[in-house]
Amino acid sequence: MADKYETHRQLLETYKRTQAQLAGDERQKARLAQAKMHQAWLEQIFNSVEMGRPIVYSPVYPELIYALDLQPLFPEAWELLPLRQDMYALCDSIDTAHEAGINADLCSFGKSLIGSLLRRKIPPPAMIVAPTFPCDNLKISYQVLGYLTQAPTYFLDPPYWMDADGAQDYWLGQFKGLISFLEEHSGKKMDYDRLKEVVEESNRMVDHWLKVMELRKMKPLPQGGIGLGGILTGQTVAGLPIGTEAMKMLLDDIKGRIERKEMAIANERVRAIWFHIRIPYDRDIWAWMGEMGAAVPVTFGEYSSIELIDTSTRETMLKGLAQRALEMPMLRQGRGAVSNWIGDCLHAVKEWQGDCVILAGHAGCKWIRGGYGILRDTCRERGIPLLMFDVDFLDPRVTPPEEYRARIEDFLTTVMAR
Amino acid sequence: MTALEQLTKTAETLTNPAIERWKEKGGKVIGYYCTYVPEEVIHAAGMLPYRMRATGSTGTELGDVYSSHLTCSFVRHSLDQAMRGEYNFLDGLVALFSCDHIRRLFDVWRYGKIDFPYSPFYLRFLSVPSKIDDMAIEWMAHEILGFKRSLEDHFQVTITDDALHQSIITYNERRNLLKKLYELRKKKAPPITGAEVLSTIIASTAMPMDEFNQLMKQMLDEVSGRDGASDYRARLMLVGGELEDPGYVKFIEDLGGLVVTDFQCFGVREFWDLVDESSEPIPALAKRYIERISCPRMIDQPRRDSFIKNMVKEFKVDGIIVQRMKYCDCWGCESAMIAWEAKKVGIPCMVLEREYLTVAVGQLRTRVQAFLETIERAQSGR
Repeated sequence: MADKYETHRQLLETYKRTQAQLAGDERQKARLAQAKMHQAWLEQIFNSVEMGRPIVYSPVYPELIYALDLQPLFPEAWELLPLRQDMYALCDSIDTAHEAGINADLCSFGKSLIGSLLRRKIPPPAMIVAPTFPCDNLKISYQVLGYLTQAPTYFLDPPYWMDADGAQDYWLGQFKGLISFLEEHSGKKMDYDRLKEVVEESNRMVDHWLKVMELRKMKPLPQGGIGLGGILTGQTVAGLPIGTEAMKMLLDDIKGRIERKEMAIANERVRAIWFHIRIPYDRDIWAWMGEMGAAVPVTFGEYSSIELIDTSTRETMLKGLAQRALEMPMLRQGRGAVSNWIGDCLHAVKEWQGDCVILAGHAGCKWIRGGYGILRDTCRERGIPLLMFDVDFLDPRVTPPEEYRARIEDFLTTVMAR
Repeated sequence: MTALEQLTKTAETLTNPAIERWKEKGGKVIGYYCTYVPEEVIHAAGMLPYRMRATGSTGTELGDVYSSHLTCSFVRHSLDQAMRGEYNFLDGLVALFSCDHIRRLFDVWRYGKIDFPYSPFYLRFLSVPSKIDDMAIEWMAHEILGFKRSLEDHFQVTITDDALHQSIITYNERRNLLKKLYELRKKKAPPITGAEVLSTIIASTAMPMDEFNQLMKQMLDEVSGRDGASDYRARLMLVGGELEDPGYVKFIEDLGGLVVTDFQCFGVREFWDLVDESSEPIPALAKRYIERISCPRMIDQPRRDSFIKNMVKEFKVDGIIVQRMKYCDCWGCESAMIAWEAKKVGIPCMVLEREYLTVAVGQLRTRVQAFLETIERAQSGR
């Protein structure tokens, strides 16, 4: 273990400093919330490493894992965090995966995870939980993680058509199987009263999140890009009081802005629906777009039809958790037919009053690539301007920011001139 | 013309005289994209299952309109063929979530971006689990039943249990005949090349099965008496996903590497396991298709690893070549794990990236030659 996760320990200190600097500043509540949340998550992980609490890799919501007093680690979030400080932070891990023989065209999330594991930049798992969706990359790279760590691995495998007869029951069965798996490999028994507490806490967090996203439909947009990040939030601290507290701060931030009549950008001229996640290493892309008069009310990192879970019985709670896993951002759009993704995109355009769609085409997302033509036809038929460009979300060497920013600028200029 | 020549010829083109005769008699042809589609159900409906290929394609100009440069080239060529009307002999199409590329290819069909040769054209996307357990088998049985009913409804036919049972017997016969062919490849001087075997397997997915089984029996008689090749430099196992170009295998074999077995889609993975003929047809099919030796779409890497190692022993393999279509994530990671395991147990292994059309011939030659030299050096050092 070369550095004992030095990069993330430095990040932890940064989050602490940020909080000290921003404390009491009403206008910085959103940034403060994010720093608090990430600090809490990293501290927990480091404590778990030191105390020997089993770490469970899981890119799905963590309520079950928290309820069993295990430590969830959402690997993709772990990889993403350092990019906010150093855009090249993952290049060494990506290169290590290439050198080990992993295909260069694999999604860089898979490559960086495999590389980080080989370089011991991420704590090793005691167990691995993964869905078989939204893409081949996730399904196969988590098999590699299982191979490399020999950690017991459980895959959640949904039917392709979730509206088919029996599909919901099958999916619930997958979820119940997950509980048995976690119990078997942790030696713990699920305490359903404790699970209820965790789910009720995550419900409070989700409730705040949904309200934030509802208020982001306002035109002009009251809150800038800092309010986005649902995918990270939900998958790291859902079910913990800190998750609720952070999301409440985000909600208070947007409400305060509305009251004070502060808008995200000075002169909103166009609203762009960014239908992939934000480019993680391009920290100020929303502010840069804002300077041109372009607001981004939603990305698919936040787009979700997630609902509050009915905790009245064990069965309703499990059904709710199973459903929540399906509705997670990205997992929702990526599973099944292309109509899931395109339908959500059109819905986002309507609900968040989008004037155009920007698709940052992540090099690893083959499931999106195959839908390019259909999305283009769909947008054309509806008169929605669409920009698609190539980028790699974790590796800025693939498309340098100045290159894709030039395309965005040209596109927005054209849209504004309409 | 010998049976082997007939089979080889059948594999050379997208369609063939057997399909033309079938169509002339009013027969229906159902295309399918993956070996996880239970062909027996289509056969039991009195139709001809046809495994989708893009043989004869020379470009992807039309296919690229609905894909991207990061889409696998097989899918791009196949889309291109579809948009050019090359699959107009089909009456329907079946696919499943084999991979991200195939499911989006199916979306293009589903969105009506391809002119269907017949209306209403039969389209079905099967929901095949990625896990191997009792729950998955039960779901697969449910899915096969739905598939059977949809064929019955669309084409106004009845698929009886007896017909299904008979189809299982017919397809098991095919599997057993192919296994006999593979037995011959275990010999020190195998009487058939890897390229010929690939052609044979392709032919078996593009003609009426009774006709194929007859030809196959003749072919086994023909080749059993042949003097086999013994002047090869190494016995190779070819591993990977979609490979429907016997020319690719021939190229390797012309350099002295005789392909004696494989772990491919058009190969061992699709015929090695039989369907239990003594059980109820649909549950038996479900069990076979879920439990068969898997491809990387399934969560089953340790079992695949053991299977490959056993094949290496049984067929006295000197080296493994993994051929991987560019942009295939499943085979990208799988090939790395195969190479890591091969290294652990001392089996020479090389991963070759390729496109649907074999174009970078010079590079391929250099790499295969170097690999064969590596094997020879290792053998001479033993």
